[in-house]
Parts: sequence; C-alpha cells; structure tokens
Amino acid sequence: MAPVLAVENLSVSFPGARGQITVVEDVSFTLEAGQSLVIAGESGSGKSMVCQTLLGIAPGAASVTGTRIDWKGRNLLTLNEPEWQAIRGAEIAMIFQDPTAALNPLITVENQIIDAIRAHRRVSRAEARARAVEVLGLAGFPEPEHRMRSYPSELSGGLRQRVAIALALSCSPSLIVADEATTNLDVSIQAQIVKLLRELKDRLGLALIFVTHDLGLAAEIGGDLLVMYAGCAVERGPVKSVLTDPCHPYTRGLLRSAPTLRSSRANPLRPIPGQMPKPGSVGAGSPFRSRCPVVVDGVCEAQRAGWTSAGPGHDVACHRFALEGREGLR
Amino acid sequence: MSGALVADRITKTFAVSRGGTTRELRAVNDVSLAVAPGEIVGLVGESGCGKTTLSRIMIGIETATAGAITYDGRPVRTRAEWRALRRSVQSVFQDPFTALCPTMRIGDALAEPLAIHGICPPAERKERVSRMLEMVGLHPDMARRLPNQLSGGQRQRVNLARALMLEPKVLICDEIVSGLDVSVQAQVLALLIALQEGLGLSLVFISHDLRVVRYLCTRVVVMYMGEVVEQGDVEAVFDHPQHAYTRSLLAAIPDHSRLSAGATT
Ligand SMILES: Nc1ncnc2c1ncn2[C@@H]1O[C@H](COP(=O)(O)OP(=O)(O)OP(=O)(O)O)[C@@H](O)[C@H]1O
Ligand SMILES: Nc1ncnc2c1ncn2[C@@H]1O[C@H](COP(=O)(O)OP(=O)(O)OP(=O)(O)O)[C@@H](O)[C@H]1O
Ligand code: SF4
Ligand SMILES: [Mg+2]
Ligand SMILES: [Mg+2]
Repeated sequence: MAPVLAVENLSVSFPGARGQITVVEDVSFTLEAGQSLVIAGESGSGKSMVCQTLLGIAPGAASVTGTRIDWKGRNLLTLNEPEWQAIRGAEIAMIFQDPTAALNPLITVENQIIDAIRAHRRVSRAEARARAVEVLGLAGFPEPEHRMRSYPSELSGGLRQRVAIALALSCSPSLIVADEATTNLDVSIQAQIVKLLRELKDRLGLALIFVTHDLGLAAEIGGDLLVMYAGCAVERGPVKSVLTDPCHPYTRGLLRSAPTLRSSRANPLRPIPGQMPKPGSVGAGSPFRSRCPVVVDGVCEAQRAGWTSAGPGHDVACHRFALEGREGLR
Repeated sequence: MSGALVADRITKTFAVSRGGTTRELRAVNDVSLAVAPGEIVGLVGESGCGKTTLSRIMIGIETATAGAITYDGRPVRTRAEWRALRRSVQSVFQDPFTALCPTMRIGDALAEPLAIHGICPPAERKERVSRMLEMVGLHPDMARRLPNQLSGGQRQRVNLARALMLEPKVLICDEIVSGLDVSVQAQVLALLIALQEGLGLSLVFISHDLRVVRYLCTRVVVMYMGEVVEQGDVEAVFDHPQHAYTRSLLAAIPDHSRLSAGATT
C-alpha cells in the first residue's frame, strides 16, 4: 500500500547567537493507513518538533526544511496558512499531553465539538451534535448524550483526555498525532487510552503517530518505532525488533536504564553516563559520541553515520554497527 | 523499634462541599504502615487513593483525624515533637510548592535547612553543600546556578540533596522520578540505593510506576480507595498478587519485557 505520509529529510532549526541551531536533523519516515509509528527518545530530542511540523504549528521562529513531506500527494512543506487550516484538525489531528490546554474551560464539551465540526464542514447544528455524540462514544466517554453538557473542569483527567480524543476524531482525520497523550494519566487510565487508540486505528483505518519516552508504552502501541537522539533519528524498525534486538548504542543504553516488571537489583540498571549535548553543539560527528562506549576512533568525531540494515525494515545509523554488526556492540 | 517511623491506624477525613451540602470524604481509612531502618517501602495505588495524604500525615504537614505517628518508639504529637522529627524524617515532593525558589541560588537553597535548624557553623556550610552536590552526582559549581539553569533531572537531584542536608534517617519520596527520562531516572535510583546501602537510610517511596517500585523497594503496600488492600515483600506481591486490585494494577503497567523473556541485556 502507498504510504499516506512520507517525511523525507525533515530538519528544523532556530536562529541562535552563532547561526542556526538545528534541533531536528534529516529525519525521514513513512506511515501507511491503519499503521502506527512510535517516536521515542529523551527530553529535548526533537519529538514534539517533528509532530508540530506535521500540523504546521512549529513556533514562528523555527525554520522547517526538507526534501518533501508528502501527504496524500501534496507537499506539506509548501503550504500557506489557509491551506494548513483546511488540513489541520480535518485530515491530521493532534492530541496533546495536557488535555486542559486543548479544551476551552468556558465552553461545554458538547459545544466545543460542535464548533470544531462546523469549522470544517457545512452541516447543521443537529447533524454536528449527532456526530459529537458518536465520536464521544468512540472515545469511550460514558453517557455522551447526558454528560456532554459538562464543562471540562467537571471531568476527571482521564475523561478530559477522552474528550480531546473525541475532538481529534470529530472531522474523521486520516492521521492522529498523539504527543505524550497519556503521560499525565493514572496507569489504569493510560492503559485504557492506549487500548482505545489501538482499536480506533484498526477500526477506522487511522494512521497513528504516538510520541513517548516510555519504552514500555512503545511496546504496547506496536507498529514501527523511530528512536531519536539529539534531533537525529538513530534507529528505526518494527517495535518488536528494535526493543528485543536493539542495534544502536543509544537504544541499548535506554533499554539498560529502563526498569521492567522483571527488573531486580540483582541485575542493576545501568544509566547512560553523561548528558545529551546541548542543541547546536553536536558538530559534524555522531550525536551520541560523547556518551558512546564503542566509539570508532577517527570516524565518529568526523561524520554522521548513514543507515545500515539490521533486519527486515530495521535500520541503524551507527559507524560501529556498520563495521562490525552486533559483534561490535557487545 | 529504633529509628522506625510508624503510622498506626491513621484515618483522615476532609470536609468537601458540593452544591451547598458538605460531605465527608474519607481519604485514608484505618491505615497502618511501618518503615524499619534501612527499608524501602513502596506505596502504590491509583490516583486519589490517599498516598500523598498519608505521607503528609507522616511528616506532620497534615494532621490525622484518628490514629498516631510514632518515631523511635515514641509518639509524635506536640509542635516541638514534630519539629524534632523533621530533623530525622525529610520529604521530597514532586509538586511545585516544595520545589526550589526561582530566585535563590542552589547553594543557598541547600544551606537553608542547616541555618533553620542551626546545625552547622556558617563557615562550614559551603563545604557541606559542595560535598552534598557531589554525593548526588552534581558538580559543586552548580551551587552558583539558579533553578531555571538546571535540567529536570538536575533539579530533582537538587531537591533530593536539599532533603538530605540534615542527614535524615527516613526520607519520604512522592513521585520524584515520574517526570524524568529513563537514563536520568536510573541515576536517581542508583543514588537512592547507594544511600540505603551506605547510610542505612530508609525510604517511603510513592510511585505509580510499578516497574520502578519492583526494582527499588524491599516491601510494597498497595492502597485502594483509602485502604491498604495488600502488602508484603516486593517479589511476593509482584509474582503472586493476592488481591484482584493488585492484579489489575500490574496488568495496566506498560512493559516491554513482555515482548520477549529477557532478550535485552
Ligand atoms: N521556540 C524554541 N526556540 C528555540 N529552541 C526551541 C524552541 N522550542 C523547542 N526548542 C528546542 O528544540 C529541541 C527539541 O525540542 P522538542 O520539544 O521537540 O523535544 P522533545 O523531544 O519533544 O522533548 P520532551 O520529551 O521534553 O517533550 C529542544 O532542544 C528545545 O530546547
Ligand atoms: N485538602 C484536601 N481537601 C479535600 N480533599 C482532599 C484534600 N487533599 C486530598 N483530598 C482528597 O483525598 C483523596 C486522596 O488524595 P491524595 O492526594 O492523598 O491521593 P494520591 O493517592 O496521592 O493521588 P495521586 O496519585 O493522584 O497523587 C482524593 O480524593 C483527594 O481529592
Ligand atoms: S559507534 Fe560512533 S556512530 Fe555509533 S553510536 Fe557510537 S559514536 Fe555514534
Ligand atoms: Mg515533547
Ligand atoms: Mg499524590
């Protein structure tokens, strides 16, 4: 199947004191209808910036460049604001970490969804209302007919996130971008929302981009995984292959420092030493070289690594892996 | 028990008014919890089950409706007794109220508890701050920085350092690693383990992340709607949960180790 979304060499930079500071560099991925892509990586690695470019909401100061972002045959990199308005919410919708930010506290749930629908479609209030009930039902919001008259402040955090999901579904988008959409929720609610997103994806044939720094959540979502470090994509492939057979030293480091339900002190977690480099300080070499245990002398300081295949659909950007494969990583 | 912090049959009710009528909300109902020296007790349960309320009662920020707190075998009741207790029992919370003052330099923030309790001569405070910063894995130069010049993980370690300045015997940690990246989280967990093993520090560790609790804690207490439904050694509770609520909590944890049994090294 042809992908609905194909991002080619996306970069995002901001003006800094000494020239442009690149915060997303040369990121590429594709996504098909009914499939999911998880973007993982630590704070500041550029995950949200990638999401924002897909909705045309990157900060004004940001310069967004790339070969192409193909969305159903159109190039999102060349859209003007009126063109974005026709796509944003209608074809591509976003769910944020903080549902309160997406919802207006002064307007009832019912009216917010009706307004969102009528902003994109010429339908009567009654039709929009029927659609609001429908999408709230899809989002697992209990007794929508009744409770949609509530104000956001009258709802729990979990219910508010369901409203935000209903709002995102209201205009039948083909892609939903969920940026840390379950991070602030209680674990039980988080598990419900993740299950809901997975079901919606299958049932409605939605494409889903799910951003998280929790590898456990990445495993629950499934599909493909893109691991980012300091603005660069360093490993990509099916979630299961990347997490059970990580081939980039950074992905390996992440997995060694993440506790699981099988962890115990007998097998201590191993934090990645050092810190992520500040944006703009990476230079020409591998972004992970200052923390990497298997640096290739004379190479890793000098240039970024290209992609090497590590299995079906599984690629790694690492000089050591390119030279020696898994043996070189130990 | 020497050095043990005990909450004995604690109940806490709040009066909540809704639509003109006042109702009684029982946030904690007849809960007992004991922390022995050198022990790390995990306190888990869904949002609103009473974890924070219980921990605030254990350090006297909140008063219990019924029940008693004892430390070192003696009941803690009067103001003076609570003041004395706070030299031995410290807390670190995630909420912004106890977070760092934005205009105070890190070094001053760390020296403050020493000044409040009049512990160490002013001339020696700087040295003690430097040592503490090093202990939590930060460069002593950090003392000159302001909180907004630190990353989230660094700030959390400064919070921890501040609570440790008085060399407490018991530390209560409420969701202190939830907002951190896993690599930073692993650093903070390693520090807590080093403090337990090296100084015999005991911890009450509140977290909604059962993966972290399993790794760090020796014992775990599961709360549900204000009550303790299950408690025991971490291995026992995680491997053979007895209560249906504990089982549902464990099932909700996202966990990549389910993808394969021990394929990651
Ligand atoms: N308006 C801005 N001006 C300059 N730099 C910015 C701006 N917004 C974000 N950045 C920088 O861009 C980088 C990527 O930020 P981004 O928000 O995408 O990270 P993230 O991976 O989503 O992190 P987190 O997990 O913390 O949400 C960071 O270094 C950030 O400091
Ligand atoms: N000052 C207060 N007044 C009224 N109700 C309160 C007050 N403090 C807490 N509560 C209520 O007591 C119950 C227990 O709250 P508590 O903060 O202890 O839960 P928690 O287990 O720490 O939850 P979380 O995981 O969300 O932090 C909740 O229903 C809460 O709304
Ligand atoms: S070996 Fe080189 S390219 Fe690979 S992660 Fe380490 S520093 Fe980067
Ligand atoms: Mg982000
Ligand atoms: Mg709490």
